[in-house]
Amino acid sequence: MRIRCPYCGERDNGEFTYLGDAGGARPDGMGTDAAAMHDYVYLRDNRAGVHRELWYHGAGCRSWLVVTRDTRTHEISDVTSAREAGLARRNSGTTSGEAA
Amino acid sequence: MSEIATTSSWRPRSAWAGFAKPGRQGRAGAEPGVILDLREGIGLATIILADGQDEALARALSERFGFAPPAPGAAAFASGRGLVWAGPGQWLAVAPSRADLAGFGEALAGLAAVTDQSDSRAVVRVSGPQARTALSKGVGVDLHPRAFRAGSAAGTGISHIVAQIWQLDDAPTYELAVPRSFAGSFWGWLTESAAEYGCEVRGLPR
Ligand SMILES: [Zn+2]
Repeated sequence: MRIRCPYCGERDNGEFTYLGDAGGARPDGMGTDAAAMHDYVYLRDNRAGVHRELWYHGAGCRSWLVVTRDTRTHEISDVTSAREAGLARRNSGTTSGEAA
Repeated sequence: MSEIATTSSWRPRSAWAGFAKPGRQGRAGAEPGVILDLREGIGLATIILADGQDEALARALSERFGFAPPAPGAAAFASGRGLVWAGPGQWLAVAPSRADLAGFGEALAGLAAVTDQSDSRAVVRVSGPQARTALSKGVGVDLHPRAFRAGSAAGTGISHIVAQIWQLDDAPTYELAVPRSFAGSFWGWLTESAAEYGCEVRGLPR
């Protein structure tokens, strides 16, 4: 599997470290309940199909990336900088999601 | 009291000390296929852009180095001083000596975080007619001229070691920097890869 880093180009996946689901936005801890925080911290979907996930390009530019990957085929349809994705989400004003 | 005796005997030590021996290695014969110049005594510093200071930092670096900070995947050098792109908003500054970087952090105060890395990396210059072939055995990026040329730079993995590589000219001449604590492992890989072409190891004058 290769990942096309938006800064470095296509690289072997050995240069990257997988973190996990990139979907969840952190709820405002002061404005939500324990169940919502529990859901955010502990509960994950184990999706068979298209999945947005966080990868770290540790051997390259040391950027966090949001990779959209089909877990059944490893086909990657999109890679973006997690910082850019976080800022876009913040600027769209939909949630208080963090910039990774 | 014994502590005083110990610390007073500390001396600066090359990152390659104990691993690299100047002289000919590998295949004997007329011309060495690979030449390894140990880059000792050079100055290195990481530069990390402060939020919103893109233009001011570019101006300050252009004034100091004579060229703009290189774009992703690029390195720029002039008169022995260089900037190597290292990540979004990050560069590695390379200077002929650590003294050459005196006041660098102060000069960029408010624009970037500057950290001296002179003792943290082992740096080697790789040249000779078989330099590209030897490096291609383990460097994780394509070094073919259509993909990597003079002024190209990459952070990548080499033999499971995180490394930065940049190309100085079309000869081709490369420089590689690895974390100092990996110097021994990296040296083993490099000299094994170069051995079949004949390899000349040289120390550079300080
Ligand atoms: Zn990258």
